[in-house]
Amino acid sequence: MALQDLIMNLQKFWTDQGCYLAQPYDVEVGAGTMTPDTFFRVLGKRPWKVAYVQPSRRPTDGRYGENPHRVQKHFQFQVIIKPSPHDIQDIYLQSLRACGIRLEDHDLRFDEDDWESPTIGAWGVGWQVMLDGLEITQFTYFQQAGGLDLFPIPVEITYGLERLEMFLEGKESIYELDWSAKVSYRDLRWLEEKEFSEYNFKAADIDRLQAAFSLYQQEAQKLIDQELLLPAYDCCLKLSHLFNLLDSRGAVSVTERVKLIAQIRSLVNQIARLYVSREGEN
Amino acid sequence: MEFLLEIMTEEMPYSHVKIAHEQLAAAFHHELAEVRIKINQLRVLGTGRRLVVLADLDEKQEDREEIVLGPPKKVALTADNQLGPAALGFARSHQISPEALTFFSTPKGEYLGYKKKERGRPTAELLPEVINRVLASLSFPKMMRWNESLGKFSRPVKNLMVLFDGKPLELSYLDWPVRAFTFGHRLHSPRPLQVRSFREYVETLRQNKVIIEPEERRQIILEQAKTLLRTCEGELYPDDELLQKLVNDVEFPLVIMGSFPEKYLTLPIEIISTVLREGQKLFSVVKGGKQLPFFIGVADQIADPKGLIQKGYERVLRARLEDALFFWEQDLKVSLKERIPQLGRVIFHEKLGTYLDKTERLKKIVAFLSQQIGEKGILKPALMAAELCKTDLLTEMVREFPSLQGKVGGLYCRAQNYPDSVAQAIYEHYQPVSLEDASPKSLIGALLSIADKIDSLVGAIGLGAEISGSSDPLGLRRYAQGICKIILDHRLRLSLSRLLSKTIDLYGQKLALSKKKVVEVCLNFFMQRLRFLYEKEGFRYDLINASLGAGLDDIYLSYLRLKALEELKLSPDFESFVLMVRRVNNILQGQPVRKFNPDLLVEKAEQELHAAFQIIKEHALPLIDQGEFHRAQKMTLKLQGPLNNFFDNVLVMVKNEKLRQNRLALLNDIRAFLFQIADFSQIVLDGERKNQKAKN
Repeated sequence: MALQDLIMNLQKFWTDQGCYLAQPYDVEVGAGTMTPDTFFRVLGKRPWKVAYVQPSRRPTDGRYGENPHRVQKHFQFQVIIKPSPHDIQDIYLQSLRACGIRLEDHDLRFDEDDWESPTIGAWGVGWQVMLDGLEITQFTYFQQAGGLDLFPIPVEITYGLERLEMFLEGKESIYELDWSAKVSYRDLRWLEEKEFSEYNFKAADIDRLQAAFSLYQQEAQKLIDQELLLPAYDCCLKLSHLFNLLDSRGAVSVTERVKLIAQIRSLVNQIARLYVSREGEN
Repeated sequence: MEFLLEIMTEEMPYSHVKIAHEQLAAAFHHELAEVRIKINQLRVLGTGRRLVVLADLDEKQEDREEIVLGPPKKVALTADNQLGPAALGFARSHQISPEALTFFSTPKGEYLGYKKKERGRPTAELLPEVINRVLASLSFPKMMRWNESLGKFSRPVKNLMVLFDGKPLELSYLDWPVRAFTFGHRLHSPRPLQVRSFREYVETLRQNKVIIEPEERRQIILEQAKTLLRTCEGELYPDDELLQKLVNDVEFPLVIMGSFPEKYLTLPIEIISTVLREGQKLFSVVKGGKQLPFFIGVADQIADPKGLIQKGYERVLRARLEDALFFWEQDLKVSLKERIPQLGRVIFHEKLGTYLDKTERLKKIVAFLSQQIGEKGILKPALMAAELCKTDLLTEMVREFPSLQGKVGGLYCRAQNYPDSVAQAIYEHYQPVSLEDASPKSLIGALLSIADKIDSLVGAIGLGAEISGSSDPLGLRRYAQGICKIILDHRLRLSLSRLLSKTIDLYGQKLALSKKKVVEVCLNFFMQRLRFLYEKEGFRYDLINASLGAGLDDIYLSYLRLKALEELKLSPDFESFVLMVRRVNNILQGQPVRKFNPDLLVEKAEQELHAAFQIIKEHALPLIDQGEFHRAQKMTLKLQGPLNNFFDNVLVMVKNEKLRQNRLALLNDIRAFLFQIADFSQIVLDGERKNQKAKN
């Protein structure tokens, strides 16, 4: 089974569960959690069910295409269900079976791992799901986002697609994975990893990144003042990615790190609060 | 009668389960006592998915007799000593016959009343209320909400089953699902299971792939591991924390053994075992202290006939070891010395500066310490260790495995051919990380560890960190206890106040509190932690007070003083000596003290006392300074004769003011001298101990 079959299996499974199938968001994000399909929809009281693939960028994880396990961009399969069903753990196990994993033959464990994203003021309680010692999923009951307490409680299930596929194919290198029967992960991604690693660690211009950070910051605040919340949030995603790039260029000291994250979080918190109060009006 | 309660949850972390077990036991003891239900036995057990309480409870509450008071005697009785209207009214309102009334004497006088007998209610009736209060009292460091419950818990609660005397108990708590049955293993037997006793519960669960007794799971793991290890003649690298976690996390343990390529054995055992433990919760396998290319894992499974689990673990492990080897090789390309300037980019604390600042302070503190203990020979390697000890924070390895800080520095130091003493000191300079952990073995490691901890402690307290209550997020208690432990283990003689003063000075203007205040708070804090350590070692509290009361500037001396006191208290003269010291203290109370003048001694007994005191002091003081408290104390006991003689034959409070004040001055000198040995006024004598306890 190739990676694209895994994606299709998961899409089929979760749409059968009533999820709407979203398409990847078109702004750089570090995780599927950050896209509007998760961030805005976990706020407030309205039920929500969504599933989507999200390319996720983590510039510091770049290894020039040389490390068999680390990449600066990987693919997550993200599921959000609000409110979380009481038997969601069992539903999740069925999804693994739907991907062809005979759980009776393996060691499956929900291993304590609470999740937190200081940038978007979010945290939750949950596990990393380990399959024969391999972390294949992050499973989280959201408790807060945008600095706001959430209720009803959404559940987030984030599959690491490459990890899961490596398990399914029994491969030891990410680049050996089959994307389809004819196209390998190497064919699609290796050059991108090499060039982006070069960019993330060496070529990205620190001054321009810093200037861009400041520009997007101003833009975000202006948009918030005009209550254009979705565009303002896009600016925050840009900020988060710029921050990650600065970090991989080694241009963020520890104090600055705290300061920059706090700046982004403060913008995101404003957006969340306005969004929720707007929902109250409708 | 048998009481069985099972809370089924989604997978709870081991740390939470441990807390829940403690809280459940304590809360049941408390709440059952409140309603007078006798507990014959109670214990907690379970897995990461089940909190189980098993108890043997009395069938009903204990009966109770209560005195109910009515009107006072003089109101109750009429002029001719008959029960009056007030008494009769009281009887009527309590629905008892007037014959049942008698008089009771109370501190306020005699009152009319009666003994009310209350029959105990059945335990089954009271349990739902008890259980509600127990469940409501549970709390965890981090609590969550989920949709089916109004309340919060560690993880979502899936089922509550309570049996009393074999029957399901009806109750409700929040909107938790209460059922008369439980469920088997999540994957292997997730069906409902009905049971009527604990014995049946254990057996039914076992058939459904859940071993409910933690101790049994532990034994299974250890035994299966032992069997598997026979083939390679290796043994488990002991890791009790990991074992406890695994015992908690699996309901049906299956031990897996696997291997990894020998090329990774070039990595030090500390790193391999951390990769195994932190990444995949695996045990290292060793033989004669050397790492073998094998690991032991624990799966939640019945069997692994095709070896799929083993192969899966091996594949992931290879990837992780490959990463570690990459970090090791990359890190070694840069010498630790070259990394020092980069420490200026790593913040130690926002207000206290970078790790480079800290490194500078550590060098000076270490130099101060080696001078204090008179070991100038170690100065050079000690300075080098201080200079390099934080550089490993800049390595990829520590970034990946923060728990290896210090150790990684030591390992790199050795690999880069720095002197062994420097590598050793850096390796162990975070030790002891807990009370159970060992102090650094080497003297330089010990000094560096003290320097590191006192620096962090003074910095935090200097910024006004709160150290009261049970929370200690900065680990300040650990620092203070660590310092005490090292000083005692290495028998270091040094002045705590001078060390504090030196450290505070090094911070310059960075601290928010005044120097005086920081010293005061720190000394108090050390006093508290040292008392805690001594109590933990089993010393009597009054002896601890007597030792610490005489000062703790030199921590090791305070320990020697305490040890000596413990021996001294067995001496037959001890009690009378303590009484004598009290007599001296009492007579001095509230008296002005002048300077003593030997020429004013007129009576024979006071001259003898003075002479004896001079001799004893002369011999005892050097002994005290050398920490030879036992001998000093033995010698001091000899003051008793002359003192007795003095009190018998000399009138201290004579009319002649000069004589009186001189006698008081002599006694005061004696008191000051005794105080150097111990604060004897803190000693509680055997006869007094009972009273003291009762008061507390």
